[in-house]
Amino acid sequence: MVITPVHYIIAPLIAAFAIPLLTKIHKDAARVVPGIVLFYNVIVSFVLMKHIREHGMISEVLAGWQAPWGINLVVTPFTGYLASMVSILGFIIWLYGFRFKRTLKGGEIKFYEILQMMMIAGSIGIIITGDIFNLFVFIEIVGISAFSLTAFYRSRDGAEAGFKYLLIGGFASAFLLLGIIIIYTQTGSLNMAQIAERMPDVPQQMKIIALIFFLVALGIEAEMFPLNGWAPDAYSQAPTPTSATFAAVVSVAGVYALIRVVYTMFDVEGVNNYLMIMGFVSMLIAEIAAISQKNLKRMLAYSSMGQIGLVLIAFGIGSKLAVFGALFLMLNHGVIKSLLFMTGSYFIYNTEDKKIKSLNGIYKKLPFVSFLFGLGALALIGFPPFSGFWSKFYILMSAADEKYIFLIIGILLVTVIELTYYLRVVGRIFFAKEEGEPASHKPSVNAIIAMSSLALFIIVIGVYPDLIMPHIQSAAEALLDKSNYIQQILSLN
Amino acid sequence: MFKKLIVFILIGVIGYMLTVTFSNIPLGENRIGSLDNPETVSAFYLNKSPQDLKVANTITAIVVNFRGFDTLGEVTVLFLAATGLASILYRKEDEEEEENIKHFAHRLNLPSSSLVRTGAKILFPLLLLLGIYVFIHGHLTPGGGFQGGAIIATGFLLMLISYKGFQTNHKVMVWLESLAGLGFVGIGLYGLIAYGSFLQNTGWTGNLNDLISGGLIPLIYIFIGIKVATELTNVLDILLNIKPRKK
Amino acid sequence: MTEFQILFEQHKDLITIAVYGTSIALIVIGLYAVLMKKHLIKIVIGLSIMDAGIHLLFVAIGYISGGTAPIFSRGNENAGARMVDPVPQALVLTAIVIGFAITALALSLIIRLYKHHHTANIDQLNSLKW
Repeated sequence: MVITPVHYIIAPLIAAFAIPLLTKIHKDAARVVPGIVLFYNVIVSFVLMKHIREHGMISEVLAGWQAPWGINLVVTPFTGYLASMVSILGFIIWLYGFRFKRTLKGGEIKFYEILQMMMIAGSIGIIITGDIFNLFVFIEIVGISAFSLTAFYRSRDGAEAGFKYLLIGGFASAFLLLGIIIIYTQTGSLNMAQIAERMPDVPQQMKIIALIFFLVALGIEAEMFPLNGWAPDAYSQAPTPTSATFAAVVSVAGVYALIRVVYTMFDVEGVNNYLMIMGFVSMLIAEIAAISQKNLKRMLAYSSMGQIGLVLIAFGIGSKLAVFGALFLMLNHGVIKSLLFMTGSYFIYNTEDKKIKSLNGIYKKLPFVSFLFGLGALALIGFPPFSGFWSKFYILMSAADEKYIFLIIGILLVTVIELTYYLRVVGRIFFAKEEGEPASHKPSVNAIIAMSSLALFIIVIGVYPDLIMPHIQSAAEALLDKSNYIQQILSLN
Repeated sequence: MFKKLIVFILIGVIGYMLTVTFSNIPLGENRIGSLDNPETVSAFYLNKSPQDLKVANTITAIVVNFRGFDTLGEVTVLFLAATGLASILYRKEDEEEEENIKHFAHRLNLPSSSLVRTGAKILFPLLLLLGIYVFIHGHLTPGGGFQGGAIIATGFLLMLISYKGFQTNHKVMVWLESLAGLGFVGIGLYGLIAYGSFLQNTGWTGNLNDLISGGLIPLIYIFIGIKVATELTNVLDILLNIKPRKK
Repeated sequence: MTEFQILFEQHKDLITIAVYGTSIALIVIGLYAVLMKKHLIKIVIGLSIMDAGIHLLFVAIGYISGGTAPIFSRGNENAGARMVDPVPQALVLTAIVIGFAITALALSLIIRLYKHHHTANIDQLNSLKW
């Protein structure tokens, strides 16, 4: 059978429906099957990327109805790049959590695995779908899994964070639906390419109101200020692999949806400036809030929001170089933040305390994990030999090209803030003196493999950025070439 | 007070935005356009549903075939909600749980009156039958898998609240739910393998308004009906029976 | 022209105001309840009311003056041009199910919160303030 984009969705669905049965046959099925499925998705990514390099973009029709009529799945260099990134990170996160979940009680593993797998599959769905209502459905799939996983641990705060996330998510879905209604009445279509084609005929006022609804709804998913109140609580209360997924997968999918709507569907002047300003504000506020955090996971969550803010700024600048930098940063953010959450979780696991101050001298107990955390922190700040440097460098370059002096100053200022709070943590880990018993929870083999592969990626890409740059280059071109996207989807099949 | 003001301003702005927008979208206007030369999706669906698919109920054709992928996602949302609910609420052997049951017990164990119980017993099979009728005729008459499934779940809800000891057979439910979901995906895969497009319908579609028509569409709707019924029942069961199950 | 169509054309403004007014009012009331009410269950009810308003709005924009239900029943095989827009109805079906899923999940979280706090007042849940 030829591999097509729909395999990204079918495989996890079959697994999700079958896991309740398979666990009756063998109790480890629930832990192993998602891994197989997520690995299969990685294979699908490679095959599809190879295919689009050779034959151009894929627009797969579903149920046999051609593009504007039926639902279609689109893999362009842009969506293919993001989908590959999400599926690879999803697999690594599964690998990391494979043994970790043994600590959960019996029957829960099945639920956890299904929700976690569907959250990743739904994020891939958000990225590859070419239909606006299908996007809504996938956002809900991700949302429902994310709410449940946030409240997964049986703590009091978990339920509160989950409820808060759910309320805001409910708003998001309501607003998204309103936006879809307005767009549907004006264009008579639900296909993104056709909507984009008909958008010039839509009255300006309708366009703007619909865009506001979309921006609010998708801004919630993309953690844009002031709609990101849920993020710190959800990140800090969810199980660690889930927090890593929020940072590496869900927020990437949210930013994708926002960018797809703003860049491709709408043609309103001035949204770019709005994105830039909101990105700037959310970056600044999140990073300042991160300084005062006492809880490690909350600090990472705020830092995550700051990074997303930087991504939005770069998309707001909108030049080719800036989009390139933004896509590079999304990849770096996914990789580095997952690494930080994974290593941070081992600290929490060992100290049994989420507070930063209990990390004193943990280097002696967990040298390898501490080393990886330090590496991730340096890469995130943007020190030269690591991959994080390049993305920040390109974004700064693009801002310089467009002569946004205040942006450059702001980004550098934020880098200093990041430096402050990450080095504070790293300093505690490596240099603070603390007597204590040796580590009780050494990282297991699979977690070491997962964390090392992420660290390896950070170093290799940092030294040879040319390995990945052509892909990002073509992804950026594919995103900016709107007329090509419309034309290809409406004629190709 | 300050919060109140912000909330009122927010509500006012949203209400104003909606009013302005929808005052420019006249009610009852024909936005579909010509059916023979379709420009909008609705025109295309209204054109193709009776002609190509031979499905009398256009909405069923849209839900199951034209936009069947959405429906698969929607069934998944329900499935995930049931899973999430179970992971949030359902814990075996838990001491705190026991305490809570004592807390709720006096309310949970009140028997319902014999009138309710007898009525429920009579209505239950009828509701089941009605639900099955609705999803089998989904492609001909209003209704379909979701509606039929919801009716069946109402029947179970009636039993759950009138008989305190009533428990659904958990094993059967799990099997039905999984097999119905796999059946839906399986039919989709059949389309992918046989015709090259996920969820594509067969070439054979029968005659408009026959019970056996529309190719695979009625079959998919039956699977959806079973899946929705079991999932909704599961959700209700979990929400009503907070007490730990008997092992 | 059917009887209803004549009626609709005669009182078009009134019906428009009634239909859109009701749905927008529902959305606004739901929004108010979500933002201002203190009881968790009331907040979830507010969310449901808001959803209901949106669904009503969605179905309403699909109405076409003089249209019938989009079902090609016997003897009605060529009535496609006289039918209302079927797409909003199909989409609302999806939206309703998703709304149900969110409500069910919200209720289960409330049960959990009630177990932990023995109260359903949002003011007494500390991390829910923002």
